Amino acid sequence: MNPDKLKIVRRHNLRKKINIFLLSVFIFAVAILYFSPILYMFLTSFKTEHQAVSPRLFFKPTLDTFKLVLSDANMFGFLKNSLIQVFFTTFACLLLAIPASFVLVFGKFKKRNTGEKIYVWFITTILLPPVAVIIPLYTWYQKFNLIKSPLGLLVAYIGFHVPIVVWMLHSFFKDVPKSIIEASEIDGCSRFRQLISIALPLVRTGIISSALLVAIFVWNEFFLGFNLTGNSTATLPVYMSRFREQQGMFVAQLSASSTIAILPAVILGWITQKSLVKGLTLGAVKG
Amino acid sequence: MKKEKDWLFLLPAILVVAVMTQVPFILTIIYSTLKWNLSRPDLPIKFIGFENYLYYLRIPEFPVIPEFYSIFWQTIVLTLSTLIFCAVFGFLFSILLDHQVPGINIARTLIMGPFFVMSTASGVIWKTTIFNTTFGWYGVIAKSLGFTPVDLLSYHPMAVIIFLFSWQWIPFFVLIILAGLQGISGDVVDSMRVDGANWFESTFMIKLPMISQHVMVATMLGLIFIVKEIGLILVTTAGGPGTRSYNLPYAVYMEIFNGSQVGRAGALATMTVAITLISVNVLYRIIKKRSASFE
Repeated sequence: MNPDKLKIVRRHNLRKKINIFLLSVFIFAVAILYFSPILYMFLTSFKTEHQAVSPRLFFKPTLDTFKLVLSDANMFGFLKNSLIQVFFTTFACLLLAIPASFVLVFGKFKKRNTGEKIYVWFITTILLPPVAVIIPLYTWYQKFNLIKSPLGLLVAYIGFHVPIVVWMLHSFFKDVPKSIIEASEIDGCSRFRQLISIALPLVRTGIISSALLVAIFVWNEFFLGFNLTGNSTATLPVYMSRFREQQGMFVAQLSASSTIAILPAVILGWITQKSLVKGLTLGAVKG
Repeated sequence: MKKEKDWLFLLPAILVVAVMTQVPFILTIIYSTLKWNLSRPDLPIKFIGFENYLYYLRIPEFPVIPEFYSIFWQTIVLTLSTLIFCAVFGFLFSILLDHQVPGINIARTLIMGPFFVMSTASGVIWKTTIFNTTFGWYGVIAKSLGFTPVDLLSYHPMAVIIFLFSWQWIPFFVLIILAGLQGISGDVVDSMRVDGANWFESTFMIKLPMISQHVMVATMLGLIFIVKEIGLILVTTAGGPGTRSYNLPYAVYMEIFNGSQVGRAGALATMTVAITLISVNVLYRIIKKRSASFE
């Protein structure tokens, strides 16, 4: 290659590098601008109430506001309620949905398309908006005082999230080769053993991602939590919604509380991004 | 023997879901035909047929259209414009995030963030730290530029809510559309380059049709979730001013908790569900038709 040509190639490479650099600066600018309200809330939670009055990006950080918020017994109660709901709902949903979606794929029923029909039924219950059920539930819960026990909301959450887990796991179980299950059946393996020792290890990612999805959904769920709980059983989203009435304009306190409220779900979400995409697109695009 | 056993795996899940979703829904439909006031236990619960539905649908004095219609219209505007914004910006962001530049994963993560934030928290954050006319960024920036900031929440409630809904749901669209874009094989991209397609052509005439299925699926899932959202409305505008930023679920909520009219709330809820199911169904049919024409 003669030196002139080399120069041209080099210049071309340089221009390409500059282009990539500019592009990545632009992408980052967009991403940070998009995320900025959350970022600013996070920053404000390290301010004192006095500093938070005027919007400013540079200040001396302090943990005082966090201490103040966490020493509030109310906040602690809501946090505990949220954790209880998330933990037990996720656990119960898996317990109910794993065997169900397993037999929907591999089970044998009298009529051949029974499994398919029940699967479609599960899907249609996802479409049902919570307003469809809230009136009877609300009147029952008031009557039997279920709003004073976490069990009431828990049962409602389980009912609403089992179909989502069935939907996601169904597509994962479908990826398990049918021949393995059939071979084990010939060997005299019971359904239960097939599920526990053959299918479960193969759909581990599906189980984890649907569990995390349910955890995020329940942690953020507002409508049912708002209507079916009393003061002693309310969850964090309900607490956040009352902020506008109770705390007035305490921006720093509000930011610290929101940080505590949103951080678990955001971090969980970031961790699961990849498997979430797989679960959602597998379930949806394939139909 | 074996057939019976398969049912045992299935029954608990079916039972729980049916008791918590189907039974209450059927009861809601039954309630919608009753005259039942929760705050007046002394009055008898009476069957009145379709009276509750007519209460919302009837137009007694013609030029004055009942509130139900404007709330219905607001729900359509709210949902439809949110979905359009989400699809357009979701696609554009996905195109942007599909580039292999250093640190792209961090940028993707940042854009994904708002989707995982609970709606009540994001509503409160936007309301106090940004839209507030004295303490928020919007007020401060407007003042420094010499404007008098107007209270966006009371003057343009619908625009604010559409904006916030979109902010929260664009990441979800990006999540699905980006997966579609990354599924396009390298061969296609290479042959596009060889054939000399420019950026515009390759993006909108080749890539967009290839991932239209993903856009549709995101839109349908988005519709299912966005239609039921009330937390954000409650904490930002509380439906106001008046009923100008109500959507149908919010109207149901107000009817039962402020009006205590179980029957009327039931009728409103039934109509909301019917409208939701019909629109999801229509969208689903469109998707099926499209995907059939591709095969």
